[in-house]
Amino acid sequence: MFTQYFGNYLLNKGYLTPKQLHEGLEQIKDTRLKLGVLAVNAGYMTAEETEKVNEAQKKHDKRFGELAIEMGYLNEEQLEELLSSQKLGHLLLSQVLVDKGIMTLQEFEKAINEYKRDYSISDEEFEAIQKDDINEIVNKFTKFEGSKNETILKDYIALFAKNLIRFIDREAVITEVTKLEDYECQFAALQDIKGEISLATYIETDEDSFIKFASKYAEEDLTSLNEMAEASVGEFLNLHNGIFLVNISNQGIELKMTPQEVYRTIKVDNIYKVSFDLSFGKINILIKEG
Amino acid sequence: MAKETFKILICDDSILVRKKLKEALSLCSTFEFLEAGDGQTAVDIYKKEKPDLVFMDLVIPVKDGITAVKEIKEFDDDALVVIASSSGTQENLKKAIKAGAVEFIQKPWEQEQLENVVKKFLKKGE
Repeated sequence: MFTQYFGNYLLNKGYLTPKQLHEGLEQIKDTRLKLGVLAVNAGYMTAEETEKVNEAQKKHDKRFGELAIEMGYLNEEQLEELLSSQKLGHLLLSQVLVDKGIMTLQEFEKAINEYKRDYSISDEEFEAIQKDDINEIVNKFTKFEGSKNETILKDYIALFAKNLIRFIDREAVITEVTKLEDYECQFAALQDIKGEISLATYIETDEDSFIKFASKYAEEDLTSLNEMAEASVGEFLNLHNGIFLVNISNQGIELKMTPQEVYRTIKVDNIYKVSFDLSFGKINILIKEG
Repeated sequence: MAKETFKILICDDSILVRKKLKEALSLCSTFEFLEAGDGQTAVDIYKKEKPDLVFMDLVIPVKDGITAVKEIKEFDDDALVVIASSSGTQENLKKAIKAGAVEFIQKPWEQEQLENVVKKFLKKGE
């Protein structure tokens, strides 16, 4: 998920064109991550230092890590850590962009530092975010302005994102949270949560995405918005809300929910609309506080 | 006399869940299935058909799952009702046990959980 966020950040900041981002994301799986990008991302080396090591490599037949230690930029422990680190998506994307000459390592270093500063992300938080820690991503990138239950809504959305990734689409990404006074849903599954905290929850999308979403959850090739498609999206919402109720029950808050229903064209007011990009379309989860 | 085919009643308002549960249980053995989309229909079918096992959702229309379990148990104290719900909160668990349910399966279920329920409650020859 963080790969898309970082890619969109690079796009919005003018480092890339949409075409370059698309091509970069396509080529991630064929890319070999090099130590320079890893060292800059970890903050162990500057882009300038990595270039000096690259220059030295032209004169000495030695590995990057070996030279970086000899030149005093890295210690053994840091090298060991970098060599065993995970192949994080945003780094693979950056490697593709550097390899293709779209971005320099200096620009990558600048972008990473700007990113942390723009979102007030500490090194510890960045460590979690870059590993796709969804709770941390939702906590940092979503805001429910004016809500008296913001922490609970963030927990709700983080769980929803995890369930989307688990059951529907591994590429699900939260794109925005907006507060709307009036909104007309096209096709929506609805379920109310009642008790100490009351929420009306909706999964809403267009007809095509509704059918594709339903097909994914039902693990069947559904071709029309029939009873099975409605049941599928409704059941996903029911499953998600049920798990949410279990989680919140563990915090000592007992809530109840109503049977899920599906509507075609329904007007709602005073809602938070949380949008997700999926590989096959877009969906919104709407939340209205009671 | 050994029983040939057990009768299972599945009560869930989702046609998808009923279908998936039937498919998953059919991997364990051959059963005769009965279906209900709400709690009242489940009670009515139980009284008429006396199934060997019931899978009951909790959040269902007309009559909720806990009330339906109570009414089934009032009618037949030996009824075997398994709750299959996404809402496995401590409170729901307590209510289900108090109402007389014999097992609680949190959705999404694992095939092994269903196999264990079938092995535990539906023994051939009994």
